[in-house]
Amino acid sequence: MSLEVTGEENTAIPETPAQESAAPAALSAALQQACAVLERLGNAVKSQVIGRDEVIELVIIALVADGHVLLEDFPGSGKTTLAKALGEAIVTTPDNDSNDNLSAIVPFRRIQFTPDLLPSDVTGGAVFDANANHFHFRHGPLFAYVVLADEINRTSPKVQSAMLEAMGEKQVTVDNTTYPLDKLFFVIATQNPLDMVGTYPLPTPQLDRFLFKITMQHIDRDAELNVLETWRSRRDQSHNGGQKVTRNELLRARESIDREVQISTAVKTALVDISRRLRDDERVLQGNSTRSMVLMLPALQVLAAMRGRDYVSADDIETLLPRVLAHRIELAPGVTDFGRVLRDCMQEPMEQLARTTLR
Amino acid sequence: MQACETDAMKRETATSQILPTGLRALIIAASYWVLSISLTTEAGSIAAFTGCVLACFAVDFLIHRPPLARLRLGVIALAAVLCLAVGIALANILTASIGFARLVGPLAAYETGEVLEWLIFSACLSTVLRSIAQRADFGKVLEILFVASAFVITLAAHRQGMIHRPFFIGDFALSRGIDPSSILMAFGCGAVLSLSALLMIEHNHRRLPYHFTVLGLLCFSLLIYVQFFGLPTPRLTDDMGLTGTAPTGGSAQDENPFRDGQNDTSDMQTPVAVVLFRDDYEPEGGAYYFRESAYSEFNGQLLVVPDRDDMDEDLIDFFTPTRAEINEPLPSPDLRKTVRITVGMLAPHRTPFGLDTPVAYANTPNPNSLRFKQTYDAFSMVPQYNFGDLIGRSSGDPDWTEEQRQAYLQLPADPRYKQLADTILQDLRPEFADDPYAKALAIKDYLDRNGIYSLKNEHAYADDPAASFLFGDLTGYCMHFAFAATYMYRSIGLPARVGIGYSVPVSNRAGGSSLLIQAINGHAWPEIYLDGVGWIIVDPAPSRTLVDMSVDPQNSLQQLLGDMLRDEASFDEFIESQQDSTLPLGLVLRALAGALLALLLAGYAVKGYRQRAPYYAQADQRYRLSYRAILDSLGALGLRRRYGESRESFARRISAMTPSFGTMTRSHLQRALRQQGDGEVVSVDMANDIDWIALDRQIRQEVRQHIPLWRRVLAFLNPVSWLGTH
Repeated sequence: MSLEVTGEENTAIPETPAQESAAPAALSAALQQACAVLERLGNAVKSQVIGRDEVIELVIIALVADGHVLLEDFPGSGKTTLAKALGEAIVTTPDNDSNDNLSAIVPFRRIQFTPDLLPSDVTGGAVFDANANHFHFRHGPLFAYVVLADEINRTSPKVQSAMLEAMGEKQVTVDNTTYPLDKLFFVIATQNPLDMVGTYPLPTPQLDRFLFKITMQHIDRDAELNVLETWRSRRDQSHNGGQKVTRNELLRARESIDREVQISTAVKTALVDISRRLRDDERVLQGNSTRSMVLMLPALQVLAAMRGRDYVSADDIETLLPRVLAHRIELAPGVTDFGRVLRDCMQEPMEQLARTTLR
Repeated sequence: MQACETDAMKRETATSQILPTGLRALIIAASYWVLSISLTTEAGSIAAFTGCVLACFAVDFLIHRPPLARLRLGVIALAAVLCLAVGIALANILTASIGFARLVGPLAAYETGEVLEWLIFSACLSTVLRSIAQRADFGKVLEILFVASAFVITLAAHRQGMIHRPFFIGDFALSRGIDPSSILMAFGCGAVLSLSALLMIEHNHRRLPYHFTVLGLLCFSLLIYVQFFGLPTPRLTDDMGLTGTAPTGGSAQDENPFRDGQNDTSDMQTPVAVVLFRDDYEPEGGAYYFRESAYSEFNGQLLVVPDRDDMDEDLIDFFTPTRAEINEPLPSPDLRKTVRITVGMLAPHRTPFGLDTPVAYANTPNPNSLRFKQTYDAFSMVPQYNFGDLIGRSSGDPDWTEEQRQAYLQLPADPRYKQLADTILQDLRPEFADDPYAKALAIKDYLDRNGIYSLKNEHAYADDPAASFLFGDLTGYCMHFAFAATYMYRSIGLPARVGIGYSVPVSNRAGGSSLLIQAINGHAWPEIYLDGVGWIIVDPAPSRTLVDMSVDPQNSLQQLLGDMLRDEASFDEFIESQQDSTLPLGLVLRALAGALLALLLAGYAVKGYRQRAPYYAQADQRYRLSYRAILDSLGALGLRRRYGESRESFARRISAMTPSFGTMTRSHLQRALRQQGDGEVVSVDMANDIDWIALDRQIRQEVRQHIPLWRRVLAFLNPVSWLGTH
């Protein structure tokens, strides 16, 4: 089942000259600040990962929208580099409000999922301290801003469900004690699309917890050449820093976007209508959940803000909907072209959405 | 599932081909039908129709498959021409062969030949046309031209109502007083429109309604134009007789009027027309004269109906579906009286005739199209003058040019005419020696006294039958007397001509208002022109006659036909019986035209309103109205948002042409989508609002640079361009 969505010009995030030439009405200060933060973060990651601008945008959207992403790609295509660059671009500043866990939380962690991994390897566990003569909790790798869950389909369902629970609840419970994860907790999971032997494929309900499932294509020739050319300089830059954003800046950006970017009823109507059409379509075995739509709203807001708007418009839906729904829809046997199904189901609600503005 | 999908797709493409192909085949076949209907039998027409439909389907479905796909266009055309030649040859053999006619009967053999011929003809021609259309773009235009010309040819033949085929259309229209050409033209317009639409369907689905509307409006205006101003009237019938080869009734208009077989007495009683007098009138000379035309131009051998425009301007030589009048009023109106008659022609005539000096003809509804070939009202200014009014006048019209005058004075180069005339005029009393009218009467008197009336025509094959008559035995019929007198008048400088028409004795009128004209009443007479009076009939009446010219006036038939022509009640009943079943067509047409006009005006009104609305709107509505105005303008130019396309995508699509439209779209969406928030009203900062009007102007400026003028003019003219704006 190919989840690639056709129509590149829809998924790319365009920066048309018209948008820059005359910004219709100025954005509020808070929103402008948020945009600046996102742009800085984007630049920081882009300086490390070349030729993946589109994926980086989506990952940042997911990060700010409080979602998680599933990358589906071949080994060595830059997944880890991306996740690491993202983690390193976020720093903790001393002016953070005091938090018990803070000392234990680091910007970036990577977990390599293997069949013999145990849930406690991910969450952490109680360890007996002989000196103090009591158990104390040793934090697992989930206590980070950005967690790279590499080859998540290679581990047992037990670990997978522990991982996915943490993603959903933003907390882990070990020995009846609940430990909250960081507010920024963000998981980038990966899986290899081809090498399926000895894996435990994630079932659709679990896939539902990821905001996006991103299929990465090989980067183009020039970008690939550029990667080789700039390898050394980028390695050095990653050590000595460069542009960074703080965790609190990101959280503030998330708040102000949530507050300032409007989602009109017409847009929500369109989303609901599209979902209903998809569920009723005979080419679709199982439609998308209500949760997917709820998760999508913040993502739409972030994308609108990144495009310099303080309202969500049809353009945002067209860009994000294929990304959000591709892994949530189960097509009927024999149907392969998800893009076509989605286009058919989107047409009427999107037309209605466009028409409402003239009423 | 997949299989289902592809099946559905296949079915979709199949139906989308069958529909246009079928429609196109029907339209082209209809043009064959129209073309063939006046040239062949019913079966032949059906064959032409069938052949065309078959050929269209065959070409459309086979042209892209192996056997045909590999052939070049020339080969296909050559094969079609060969096939046509063979088919026509075969048809001719079938028609001509005695054996086949014996086998199935001559009628069936003829029908078979016709069917074969037309089937082959339409099939081959359609194959060639359709193949060209499939292979090359100009072929489609050829096809449209073919359909249009088929209708035009038929339409041209219908001018003047000489050809009534197809009868059901002609009868339908004529019985309601409508010109059948309008109906046929409507058919033609419809056919050409549909074909043009089909042509465009294959290229661009979206432009179709737009272009169709514009073309429809053009055709509609053409129909309206013809309705109000009519088509130009042809002056004369041509040699092919396309505009009227109806056989002439009474007086002949053949090449040589002396060889018209008037001596055949068998059908002298045949009724040719019935006349209803609408006004009281009693002729001076004891006979009603009905003037149809005149021989006035000398062609070197004898007098003929003039070909020139500047002769006989007092005669109307064509039938009209409406009303026709002579160009110049007749002289001395105080000596004349207007008489209206209604003429019902029982035999077809080439030109209308009217009492004595007709000045106007008006078509009237035919009360019984089975009986009357043609019915019309003729208005005449009949002369009321007496001898005193005519004597002492000079001949000819001082307004005539020398050329016109000379034309009325030409005669055969035979000196005997002048000698004889001079001899006759020697006896004239001195006080009248120079008076034209007195001279004319003297010559008439000579012929009256010496001429012998006979239907025997012994001068027919002489070089100059009039000379042969006049200087020979003086025995002949009206044509001889008329020509001889005219030549003598012309020889002494009196402008003269031979009038043609009917002369019916007053005694034939049985007291009612109707008068029956019979074949025997066909007559020719000399006329002279007097200044201030016009053409005057000076008819010789020979005192001796060898034939009994009296026939039964058939009073009862006269009564019956007159009643039939007059009977308004039965006429109304007839019209009602025709109209009972359907709505009154004229009214419906007018209502339709009115409704269309109203729609047109309403369309323009709405269009104008939507364009001007942003200038007068309140500030909080301007984002919506000015965006709509711009969308209207772009839509008229063919730039429309596709179904399901977002506003931003549309703006991006045309951003190369007008970048400012992107700005306007964003501003519009911001206002529209922010206002409909989570039930909470988001305050809009009016002070911060952009200048919508300025932006509007800028966009129009940008568009103007990219769109050619003709498209902008079309967009401006289109009254319904705003309908597609969403």
